[in-house]
Amino acid sequence: MVTKKVSQKPFLKYSRTIGMTTMRGRGFYFPVDSAMSSDGRIFVLSRSSEIASSPDTIRVTVLNEAEEYFGVFGKGGDDPGSFRWPCGIALDNSGNVYVTDEHHHRVSIFRDSGDFISNWGTHGSDEGQLNGPSGIVIDGDDNLLISDAKNHRIQKFSKDGRFIFSFGTFGDKIGEMNLPWGITVGPASEIYVADWGNDRIQKFSKDGEFLCEFGSGDGEFTKPASIVVDSEGYIFVADWGNEAIQILDSNGVFVQKLLGEATDSEWAKEYFDLNRDEGEVRELSDLQPNIEFFNDDPHEKSSHIEKLFWGPSALFLDSKERLFITETNRHRIQIFERNA
Amino acid sequence: MSNHEVQLIAHLLRRAGFGATRGELEQYSSLGYNATVEKLLDTSNPQAISEHLLRRYHPDETSMLVGLGGLGAWVYRMTTTDSPLLEKMALFWHGIFATGYAKVINSKPLSDQIRMFKRFAMGDFNTLLLEMAKDPAMLIWLDNQQNHKEAINENFGRELLELFSMGVGNYTEEDVKECARAFTGWTIGNCEYMMVRSGRDSDWPYGRISWHYEFDEQDHDSTEKEFLGRKGNFSGEDIINIICEEDATARFVARHMYHFFVADEPPVPQWPYQEPRDPKAIEQLVQAYFDNNHSIRSMLECLFHSDFFKSENCWYEKVKSPAEFVTGVLRLSETVVDMPQFEIPGKQLRMQRMGQTLSNPPSVEGYDGGTAWINTGALVERMNFASEELGNINTPGSQNLFDSVETDNGVVVSPERLVDICLDHLGSINVQDDTRSKLVDFAAQNGEVHIMDNGLDESSKVNISGILKLIVASPEFQRE
Repeated sequence: MVTKKVSQKPFLKYSRTIGMTTMRGRGFYFPVDSAMSSDGRIFVLSRSSEIASSPDTIRVTVLNEAEEYFGVFGKGGDDPGSFRWPCGIALDNSGNVYVTDEHHHRVSIFRDSGDFISNWGTHGSDEGQLNGPSGIVIDGDDNLLISDAKNHRIQKFSKDGRFIFSFGTFGDKIGEMNLPWGITVGPASEIYVADWGNDRIQKFSKDGEFLCEFGSGDGEFTKPASIVVDSEGYIFVADWGNEAIQILDSNGVFVQKLLGEATDSEWAKEYFDLNRDEGEVRELSDLQPNIEFFNDDPHEKSSHIEKLFWGPSALFLDSKERLFITETNRHRIQIFERNA
Repeated sequence: MSNHEVQLIAHLLRRAGFGATRGELEQYSSLGYNATVEKLLDTSNPQAISEHLLRRYHPDETSMLVGLGGLGAWVYRMTTTDSPLLEKMALFWHGIFATGYAKVINSKPLSDQIRMFKRFAMGDFNTLLLEMAKDPAMLIWLDNQQNHKEAINENFGRELLELFSMGVGNYTEEDVKECARAFTGWTIGNCEYMMVRSGRDSDWPYGRISWHYEFDEQDHDSTEKEFLGRKGNFSGEDIINIICEEDATARFVARHMYHFFVADEPPVPQWPYQEPRDPKAIEQLVQAYFDNNHSIRSMLECLFHSDFFKSENCWYEKVKSPAEFVTGVLRLSETVVDMPQFEIPGKQLRMQRMGQTLSNPPSVEGYDGGTAWINTGALVERMNFASEELGNINTPGSQNLFDSVETDNGVVVSPERLVDICLDHLGSINVQDDTRSKLVDFAAQNGEVHIMDNGLDESSKVNISGILKLIVASPEFQRE
């Protein structure tokens, strides 16, 4: 299955942007993933920086779409309940929060209040062991599917860490993987994997049997980081290496490409209300300058033009199937919704 | 190949790179000295750790939020590159066109500047100087956004002549003013907004916005100027081309090159009053500059093939900068090859403790360098760092050392032989006799090493790593 362009009116339209950057507290600092609870709270996982001087820069920030702020939990460190390289976040049917850590090779579990419950996971390559766990999703049976990135496989666990099965091995042939990152479950329980190092999406049955792939051959994706599928089978891919979101239909046919249209979030507006001189001179600036970019490098373009995606590393759909795009390097979430 | 030629290639790799592992040295030695020079000068397709991997595992290293963000990525590139001369040239130009975070307060333009240095590091000097003059970080560092048609700011024009090209004594105060006029209107886009943000260190709301060069024609003085005895409606480009034709410019670049690659010269402010250490060497480099359209690569080629560079008189004469020292140690440990590691960005903090913060030199004159790198605290930090990294018996580098000990040395290895293997392992270091004697005495304290059927035992490995820990304190290891 390959992707190809067809003429079609825009499938999604920009809605709004939420969040802003802060090293601590209300805001995000290199957010790498986010998830929404059934009551509409958004849990945003900030990875922070290795050389950040204090542990509270690594945290989960809780807010809702209206940018009501509910607090933070988690911190940097090595103790249980702490993170070094947090990467993926997911919520189970009870509202408990699961966070993968690529450095500690473990999964930490919290109540949605932020209280730490437990963690599990050991470093290694044997069955049930982890090496750089990245993407995480809860399937229909309330089990966990984890991209065991540096073991180049997907592993399925019960919520308390009991190994169920795994599939995938290192390589670029069908069914093989290279540093898989994002993972999701489709409407028919199929498993979709962002096969990051192979620049493709792979689709498997719920038992891990290879079904098909998207994006290979013509290099349509560059290092895809995340993937979600809506109830109609539309596929949304965080085309991370191209600083874009690509939308495919259930057959893998290209539908739309998004490059980002961020506007000021409510928190950003509050900031400029308090810092009027900065806001006023920003108003007078050309934030979409026409620059000769280095070799058309999409990362460079995103670093210069603020509204564009920069590091779109995670996606989720809410109950209305609106797309929430977490941008690591712009510390915000852009929301897109279906055209009427 | 003679041992002298191997030692000569090791010298070349220390100066044109960051030293060499035993494996690298064997590869280069099989080519011979001249072919090694050619290989180092070929920077057409440099390979290092994947940029995508760095961005995935260290997203802060490619962003702009973190103060001095990007230095960890710079460490990765220096440590993993197969084109070490290109990285050395980035350090070379960074030391001359010294630009710092303290005033720029945005790490992305600074890392962009280093990328610019690598793109133009070894081409013609005119192009490099022009790119440097358009570099957003440099423009802000030297206040050229305040250099207006109706009210010039001489800062950039002055430093262009004094510190970047010709040196004091080769131009007049009038030349400085005329030079500054030619660069009026050279600024960055959205300058007022970017300066407000830098002024308050604002990351908000969505992180910094990268800077780009902008030419404001309305603010540019396009009228006639008189510069270095010539008259015309000179633009900034014209000024740079005139500068690059000057003999003083060739000498200035040549002296910097000699200082960086051969032997320490006095600080730049003393150059007008103190003759070069080796005037004939400078003459050769100047000739290479003019014979090859101001080509930096040609100057380097001339330098690496010269007798003054090959002379044993300059071996181990230069103190490694912290950047060179840390990078060299990491390359020897071979722990960073193809996958990012949590600990690596922190290595640049070790450089800072040794006295060098990349992209944040103490002044526009760059780093003091030379023996100024060594003081009590810095030396202890250097020895501790090297001991931690090279004394770790579990690194790939250490495993290669143990393989060397186990191979072709029989079942009993003498202290003398162990010391030689260790010196060889660290890049064929040639220490003074009394240093070697002390190393042998130290190794002898643990007696001979016995190779068991299954190789070296744990205690032997620890003893061998102890020899490495001692070697890293030697003057020859601290220098290049």
